Amino acid sequence: MTVEPGTIAPDNRPVNVQAAVDKMDALLGGHIASYLDACVHCGQCAQACHFHEATQNPRHTPALKLLPMTRVYRRNKSPFSGLKKALGLAPEITEQELRDWEPLIFDTCTMCARCTVVCPMAIDIASVVAATRQAFVAAGLGPPDLLQAADNARDKGSPLGVTPEVLEDRVEWLADDNEIEIPLDKDKADVLLTVSSIEMMKYPDSVVAMAKLLNTAGVDWTLSSKGYEATNFGVLSGKSDVAKIMVERIAAAAEAVNAKTVVVPECGHAYGVLRWSGANLLGRELPFQVLHITEYLADLKRQGRLKFKPYTEQAVTYHDPCQISRRGGATADARYLLDGFASDFREMTPTGNFNWCCGGGGGVQAMARAADVRHEVFRIKMAQVEATGAPALVSACANCRLTMDESKAALKWDKELISIVEMLADNLDVPAES
Amino acid sequence: MIQFIEGPLWYLALTVFVVGVAWRIIALVTMKRPADLSEARSGSSGAGGAVKAIIQHSVPHGGNLGRTLYHFVTGYLFHVGLLVLILFAAPHVEFIQERLIGADIGWPKLPRWGFIIAAEAAFAGLILLYVHRLTDPVKKQLSDIDDHLGVWLTFIVMLTGCLALQEAHAGLRAFHLLTVEALMIYFPFSRLIHAFTFLLSRARTGATYGRRGFAP
Amino acid sequence: MARLSLSALGRRIAPGWRTNDRRSVSSWPGAIVVLMALAVVLASAPAAHAQQTLPDPDQIKSQGMATPGGSVRPPANAVNLPDTSGSSVRRPGETGRPAPAMTVPGNAVGNESVTESLWDRVRHGQRGAVVVPGAEQGVLIQSAGEEWRLIRNDQVVHYGGMLLLAVLTAIVLFYLIRGRIKIEGGRSGLVIPRFTLAQRIAHWFAATLFVLLALSGLIILFGKSVLLPVLGPTGFAVVASASMQGHNLFGPLFLPAVLAILVLFIKGNAPRAVDVSWLFKAGGLFGSHASAGKYNAGQKLWFLMTIILGVAISVSGFVLLFPDFIAERSQAQLANLAHGIAAVIFIAVGIGHAYIGSLGMEGAFEAMSTGTVDTNWAKEHHDIWYAEHKGQAMADTGRAEVEAGAAGDGVMHGVRP
Repeated sequence: MTVEPGTIAPDNRPVNVQAAVDKMDALLGGHIASYLDACVHCGQCAQACHFHEATQNPRHTPALKLLPMTRVYRRNKSPFSGLKKALGLAPEITEQELRDWEPLIFDTCTMCARCTVVCPMAIDIASVVAATRQAFVAAGLGPPDLLQAADNARDKGSPLGVTPEVLEDRVEWLADDNEIEIPLDKDKADVLLTVSSIEMMKYPDSVVAMAKLLNTAGVDWTLSSKGYEATNFGVLSGKSDVAKIMVERIAAAAEAVNAKTVVVPECGHAYGVLRWSGANLLGRELPFQVLHITEYLADLKRQGRLKFKPYTEQAVTYHDPCQISRRGGATADARYLLDGFASDFREMTPTGNFNWCCGGGGGVQAMARAADVRHEVFRIKMAQVEATGAPALVSACANCRLTMDESKAALKWDKELISIVEMLADNLDVPAES
Repeated sequence: MIQFIEGPLWYLALTVFVVGVAWRIIALVTMKRPADLSEARSGSSGAGGAVKAIIQHSVPHGGNLGRTLYHFVTGYLFHVGLLVLILFAAPHVEFIQERLIGADIGWPKLPRWGFIIAAEAAFAGLILLYVHRLTDPVKKQLSDIDDHLGVWLTFIVMLTGCLALQEAHAGLRAFHLLTVEALMIYFPFSRLIHAFTFLLSRARTGATYGRRGFAP
Repeated sequence: MARLSLSALGRRIAPGWRTNDRRSVSSWPGAIVVLMALAVVLASAPAAHAQQTLPDPDQIKSQGMATPGGSVRPPANAVNLPDTSGSSVRRPGETGRPAPAMTVPGNAVGNESVTESLWDRVRHGQRGAVVVPGAEQGVLIQSAGEEWRLIRNDQVVHYGGMLLLAVLTAIVLFYLIRGRIKIEGGRSGLVIPRFTLAQRIAHWFAATLFVLLALSGLIILFGKSVLLPVLGPTGFAVVASASMQGHNLFGPLFLPAVLAILVLFIKGNAPRAVDVSWLFKAGGLFGSHASAGKYNAGQKLWFLMTIILGVAISVSGFVLLFPDFIAERSQAQLANLAHGIAAVIFIAVGIGHAYIGSLGMEGAFEAMSTGTVDTNWAKEHHDIWYAEHKGQAMADTGRAEVEAGAAGDGVMHGVRP
């Protein structure tokens, strides 16, 4: 309970307040304005936020994260703003205020949207935070490691340094090691599979599992060195230029192989960004459909192209990645996959669209200085899992998995974490060769 | 003085209220953002999501009831009580008929016992919500001058209304009207506008996420 | 029974009122009612259909009475009725004094009766026979009403006013002599959670209602003696009407507030041995240290008083608000006296409570605002409680406030994840 991410050591970064104000001004549209005009400061969002619940610090009240935008709105945009300005009711934002707000906008918001559920006004604070991050980055603020990850993605192709060459090496190694075919850069394919660099570097089994499942179902698929990185640290860090570049790469790769479908791997925000913001970032409709791997596998299972042996080893529960379930709408597919497969499946409370976040979404996983508070947040998840009595936790997001693995180690927790794709691949019911 | 309150000041307040609220709503509705180019999930639509969000966010959902029970109960006590008072209190119906819509249009008036129950609920809710605002660390930190002014004005309006309940003294009635006018003039410039914007806010989230399959 | 004792009480504490001609005559509307009611009894004697001789409903309404046979004066709460055409609202220019009777036979009050006439019997509340069912239907004049009125307007107002003035004077004197009670050791900078959020909310909810009810109630009780001469009849009529409406409206909320206080504060308020010595030392108000647990004996008495007086005031208040549910008028009169007496005592002690909880003692108010207290304050005023809780002391006041808010607060925070 001593964790306090609310302050950052003083630093000498120059801060361009005007740039932040201009950016917020530019991004402040009808949606955000409606939200700012609807908030009545009731504070109920605090009880839905894992950062507030873990720290019990009123500073981590989600509604407080609306403050930078509110200030700009009141001063520059709202009806009667001129009047308020003249009366001195709408003071300018100061550099110190921006510095004070930085941890609220970055370190302690995973953009999970639990606060939106509890909000009587349904204010989508997560989207306001995303826009506000852009303004902070414009001002020269933001966690250095998160920003570095975005730059890496732009310059090297991936936040974790998976360049096309590294990709090629790793794919070759994985294919050899596992005696499996992993197509890379096929000329044409129905399906373009993307990967998250977290999987490539830390959970390669997950890539192998996807290949095994797609191969078994007889899918015409490929990876592409033109566009393979599913994660989008441009969005997470508030670097909109990088965000667009990342989407462009995948779109170009998909169009090059004439893919009808782009499959997003086990990664929450990758799905949210590509599926729901990709077209908007590009400024045109996508010529392919975007599916999360759980959605795609559920389709294959529905079509009878994939069959599984029942999983009877142990009881399992499922952690809904926020961007796939609550903010992505694909809640049902993971359950469809587990239905009739995991013989002892237990839901957490709350679950599905109302699940608690792992603590590492929204790029918080990539911020070293937020590690302690993440671990505190993870206690909520631990309590949830323990209440089910299940010894294992299944999920469909490599970022959640990494977050939970780190917290699990830090807190010496003994439950097992399982990737749903790996679990399915390990229990394929392969028909006799035909 | 009473003539001024019931005459020119009333029309001034009414004008400020109507024009101010309209201006703010129109401003919000016309501040557009580019159309969402992403493909909606099959079977889901923005319009459906908007309607659903408006309804769903009227009550705690998603397992949040237990943790928001205080707000739920006090919030409804206050808002329902106040709304019933504004629309159905006999003197209000008469006032609305006399000043705004004419005697031909009308609706049932609240009997005296109904008025008392509504007033008790509204007062209990408002006081409980405000006391919570003054003591809860989360709310204390969020609150600004606007929150306090809005509550105080509303409370004073309700109080003067109840003090004038006997309807025997023109002065008390005028005093009530005066406070109402103050509230109406303050309304468009303040957070009280949430009485209208709650629909917009819910609808926008509902529309954005409804097409994804689930609106939080 | 109740009426008898009230009657006797009235005679004992207000001897001679019967010869005081200032109050000896009813107002003319009252007289009309008396006449009408008399007609009812007379007409009903030969078993005539009572209905035929009842005054028409509009007239009854204008007199502020539901049935014939009311007290000599319209009851104080008659003004509840929305109809303003009646006489219950005093007109400008009228004084508080009743006008002389015009057409009442003999002496309207009956204080000089020589023979036991019909009028005398009626005037003294004898019950007649009527066909209209109802407890009081046979009583034309509820004589005790005048006694109640005098006790309320003379005794309660007189002694109640003295009590309140005495308390105020005592507090001012105490403040001038003793000054603000400081934390002797100064602030330690460490605080301990003391009251939960639920406790503080219940307290301030009750306190808000207390203030609103006390102010309006004091105007209702003392207004005639204190405000009427200052504001004049018209002005006072407005203030009195407003106060009564406000008082009636806020009143019913006070009972749930008191019950919430009971539930949330009962723990720690049981008497214990240390309370006796605390009382002997007068709580250390005049120097010597007095030991105390979470609550000292004074606070425990105040808690007890809040519950007992609060419930008494609420119950009597409900009787006055809903007279349809009581059998006899005399019960309303007793309820009114109990209500007023209890309220005056409650307010008097409440003023003391408010003083010592704010201006009178450094470090006390924050217990009810942030829910935390300085450790040195706790040591000096609640040493036993401090000894049990010093482990919770911390320098981070914000954190302490949060923990105070969260402590044992199922209602406010629900179940933690």
